[in-house]
Amino acid sequence: MVLVVDGLHKRFGPVVALDGLAFEVAPGQVFGFLGANGAGKTTTMRIALGILEADAGTVTWMGTESRRLPRSTFGYLPEERGLYPRMRVLDQLVFFAGLHGMPPDRARREALAWLRRFRAEDLGGRRAEQLSKGNQQKVQFIAAVLHEPAVLLMDEPFTGLDPVNVALLREAFLELRDRGRTVVFSTHQMEVAEALCEAVAIVDRGRVVAGGPLREVRRSTGRRMVRISVAGDHRMPWLARVPGARVIQAGMDRATVELEGALEPDEVLAAAVGAGARVLHFEVADPSLEQVFLDRVGRPAEQEAHLAPDLGGGA
Amino acid sequence: MSRGATVRNIWLVARREIAERARSRAFVASTVLLAALGVGVALIPLGVRLAGRATVLGIAVSAAEPGLATTAARTMDTVLNGQAGGGGPARTFAFTVYQDATAAASAVADGRLVAAVRIVRGADGGLGFTVLNVGALAPDKAQLLGVGAFAVGVLDWTRANPGATRPFVAPSFSVADAGDAGNAAGAGAGGAAFDAAEYASRRIVGIVFVVLSFLTLVFYGMWVASGIVAEKSGRVMELLVSAATAGQLVAGKILGIGLAGLAQVGLVLVPALLALLASGRIGDALLGPDSGAGASLGALSPGLLLGFAVYFVLGFALYASLYAGAGSLLSREEDLQTVALPLSIPAVAGYFPAVLALSGSNSPIIRVASYVPLWSPFVMMSRLAVGRVEVWELALSLGLLALTVPVVALSATRVYRAGVVLYGQPPSPRVFWRAIRGG
Repeated sequence: MVLVVDGLHKRFGPVVALDGLAFEVAPGQVFGFLGANGAGKTTTMRIALGILEADAGTVTWMGTESRRLPRSTFGYLPEERGLYPRMRVLDQLVFFAGLHGMPPDRARREALAWLRRFRAEDLGGRRAEQLSKGNQQKVQFIAAVLHEPAVLLMDEPFTGLDPVNVALLREAFLELRDRGRTVVFSTHQMEVAEALCEAVAIVDRGRVVAGGPLREVRRSTGRRMVRISVAGDHRMPWLARVPGARVIQAGMDRATVELEGALEPDEVLAAAVGAGARVLHFEVADPSLEQVFLDRVGRPAEQEAHLAPDLGGGA
Repeated sequence: MSRGATVRNIWLVARREIAERARSRAFVASTVLLAALGVGVALIPLGVRLAGRATVLGIAVSAAEPGLATTAARTMDTVLNGQAGGGGPARTFAFTVYQDATAAASAVADGRLVAAVRIVRGADGGLGFTVLNVGALAPDKAQLLGVGAFAVGVLDWTRANPGATRPFVAPSFSVADAGDAGNAAGAGAGGAAFDAAEYASRRIVGIVFVVLSFLTLVFYGMWVASGIVAEKSGRVMELLVSAATAGQLVAGKILGIGLAGLAQVGLVLVPALLALLASGRIGDALLGPDSGAGASLGALSPGLLLGFAVYFVLGFALYASLYAGAGSLLSREEDLQTVALPLSIPAVAGYFPAVLALSGSNSPIIRVASYVPLWSPFVMMSRLAVGRVEVWELALSLGLLALTVPVVALSATRVYRAGVVLYGQPPSPRVFWRAIRGG
């Protein structure tokens, strides 16, 4: 493991923000850091960046404590987006890359290349205050990656983006991973994490409650599921006659059914066929991250953890 | 982080600050406005001279010797007002003979007359002139009276000694300012004396330095605080602190705003100084040469300028650090208004002793204030301008200031580091103290 977060503790007055938080990230991995607002995600990232000091515990990269590393090791996209409002986009990107030691000519060239790939080459000459929120977010993302950091720490990078820009950002994530960058991003959007991450950590009240490779985390609850889609009556009344089958997520397209006790998946399929339903889709599935999260945390990720103080958007 | 990277980042932050200020309409507008104001202030002496041309100064003349006061008044009227009998529209002085010197002094004291000239004949036959006033007689006008006194002395000698049997004794001439009795204009550093005109010039230069220091330290200090608050409230701070250290950001901001401020001061001062220099020539062309009018910049020596530069740089570093620390604890730009007054209190507290020092006062309180680092940029500059400083005092004042700046800057950086990621209410005094200690 290359990025090791080990036993982080942090209090803000009476509030415990981190309570022995620990996880590891392999090199070149896209890692999801999942939790409700206030769970400790932002505080962890700020400690990794050296913006905050931990009360106890360490963050190391390649065996060196993060605060002893050059700041250019990390690229950071804060949850609270912000740019200099009256400064031109290209000038801002060159300025921030310059703080990380990148020569201005190269920074300008690379910034234009990133703007092109985000279909935003016309933004370079505009002032930040003239940009939409989505475009400002793209510019901030470029500011975080421009100096080619080894580790990217992204705090809720997909929040507030439209589907087109979410897709562009996802592509960028995967490309950065392919270039050998380690990408850690926090989110409470479980479906985004499922689509992108090789490994995740679910954090609640300053502790990791589940973590590891995505598949292991999804199987960690021991629950078994099938996903089924039938033509006609989506309520699937015949399921009520199958002992141990429980619909945990009903949907017009497909439903997720949990198998309890000794019930096997093929018994559900047989019951559907026996009831005359036309089965369009059937799969044996692991629980979704959303379900794992609910199991482990006991409430949806959208709810606040109500732990950390107001520290500029989550802790 | 290497020293090269630190210097690079400080300069990058400073350069961005300078560029932002130079592009700002407020900066351009305030520079133009202040420059116009500076030129206006510089032209005030010319205005005073023009206004003074129409003013007739009432002067009492008294002498114990019968007839002397009348003769002297007539002579001075002729010499100084340029026409026998006086009374023209262009006359400067209106001389009134007083038999009683005490009555003349009380007329001056209650403001009916500008000055009272008392003439006494000495044992050698020469005349002695004492001009009593209460601050209403300008140095150039006092000099003119001196010329008049000399003319009276010459005529008195030729009349009393037609055969020139007695050698000519130049009349003595002194000015006593009843309103400046304790100040003894002329007691300079190390006992060196300078005349009234130079003293007036030193006061003018001192006032310029003190007012300029006060305004710039408070004004540009607020720029530092408001810049940090804007970065916090605009949330660009998070990107900044992930890219550069708190020390680099604070130093860069102070350097950038300091240089932008210096540029503005230069753009305001240079036209004002040129106007001041030109106003003397314009005045001379319009009103004729006036030895008292052109000396207002005479005291602006290279040593004083160097002192101003050193105190400005150190004072700005000190005040800007304080403002940076305070700004880092605020989250909203509107909060700045509530802290602006308390933040300016240390500067205001230094401004008053500085003004007192300019008036010539050299009390223990003023001396001590000139050693206190928060006040020395104002008070010591005042004392230097009016020339009342021992070398050891200057060394102590500068030494304390130079030692305080890094301590305050380091504390401010620690507060900044803790404060810039805190939003909402400012931290408690305990958290604040822990931040300063680096906890």
